[in-house]
Amino acid sequence: MSCYTVLCYKNEYTMITPQFTDEAVKDILRRITGLDLQKVFRPIKQELKAPTYKLMTDEQLEQAVALAKEQAEKLLQMPPVLPERTPISDVLSEDRVLEGMDSAKYVFTDITYNIPHRERFIVVREPTGTLRKATWEERDRLIQVYFPKEVRKISPPHIFKEENLKMVFSQDQHEHVLNLCLVQFEPDSSEYIKVHTATYEDLEKHDKYDLLRSTRHFGGLAWYLVKARRIDGLIVDMLKRQLLQDAVSLVRLFHMVHPDTESAQEAANKEATNIDLLTIYAQKESQRSGYIELALQAYKQPAAEALAA
Amino acid sequence: MSYVGMMEQDFLDKFMGDGDVTRKHPSLLLKTYHGGYVVIRLALAGHKQANRPFYRIVAAHNKRARDGKYIEQLGTYDPLPNVYNEKLVSFNFDRLKYWIGCGAHPTKPVAKLLGLAGFFPLHPMTITEAERQKAQTQVTQTEEGSEQEQKKAEAV
Repeated sequence: MSCYTVLCYKNEYTMITPQFTDEAVKDILRRITGLDLQKVFRPIKQELKAPTYKLMTDEQLEQAVALAKEQAEKLLQMPPVLPERTPISDVLSEDRVLEGMDSAKYVFTDITYNIPHRERFIVVREPTGTLRKATWEERDRLIQVYFPKEVRKISPPHIFKEENLKMVFSQDQHEHVLNLCLVQFEPDSSEYIKVHTATYEDLEKHDKYDLLRSTRHFGGLAWYLVKARRIDGLIVDMLKRQLLQDAVSLVRLFHMVHPDTESAQEAANKEATNIDLLTIYAQKESQRSGYIELALQAYKQPAAEALAA
Repeated sequence: MSYVGMMEQDFLDKFMGDGDVTRKHPSLLLKTYHGGYVVIRLALAGHKQANRPFYRIVAAHNKRARDGKYIEQLGTYDPLPNVYNEKLVSFNFDRLKYWIGCGAHPTKPVAKLLGLAGFFPLHPMTITEAERQKAQTQVTQTEEGSEQEQKKAEAV
């Protein structure tokens, strides 16, 4: 009886845990990402154009800045975080009669223009005579052959190999690699997930969170860390940069995603806000509690001084 | 005769676009094929390159040159295998169904390809060729076997 009730409870609460696509989660992640216009619109390699100069009043300047903020928000749209796709292994027909007819496979693609790429028929006839559906990698490659997307290559660039990734991380080019990965692979393919996990692990190891702040990949990084329950480094980094509200939002997200932890339950009981929330989390959950409390002290001091003065 | 009417319409659709008036009064200079029919066949593309065949699967009139003007391209066929040992074939099934519905005849190689793709049933010549290939490989294997035995006998 007891095991049955435990099973029930587990099923119930796996349905309640928020996913990446929930509005509340997305809202928190967007706020944590920040909006540094100088970083979003920094100079990048582009076609050379002569510079334009405009004479504006203050109002026009404010309007231009507002427009720039809207465009920045569009640029900072987070790419989806999806579970890994299950491999395709459908056999449509087995014709042993055709065995030995040809040493090469025949790959048939349907190039009808207005069907989505996920529903396209791509079918392979093996030299043994079996007619099977193409695997995900074959599908991606052939769709790129017949419907090329701009920067995507047919075979993945060598930068995604492990040795080269290490070199790239030592040069602090995580954002560059993640942008290339986003263009090259589908969001639910295994290579995409592998590259992203490698990047996030490296960032967490070396505490280089600021490289991704104010880019579209920060949300993914935060979500990965929350799921893995390793947000201590990120909280410390935020407190060092005086981003108290961001740290509080992150802890709130953590409590949303893992409501069964001690800190979540205590926070719910006490209905704590801001610094209290952080202290509860520091005491109950984190491994680096001393660090967090120190940082909180450092944050409280200027506030106390300001109050005193 | 209804055939020719359909083909005239296709030509007019292509050259003159919309306009019911033109459909009722076709130009006398417009070339039509009398008694011809539409085929779906392989047309060789890239004829400036020697020893590198590449075919377009094409709906064309029967009397036209093999590589000449076609009505519509329906796909491609690359007979040389690529790095991954695949021969790439593409079909625009939507338009293929339209042309077959209009009464176009696929040629033997196109029918074979469609049979291999699973769109048509398997062509009987495909099966015959597969059996011939098997017989050929068996004959060469027995020949090689007997040659090896001869060599061993000589060596001894």
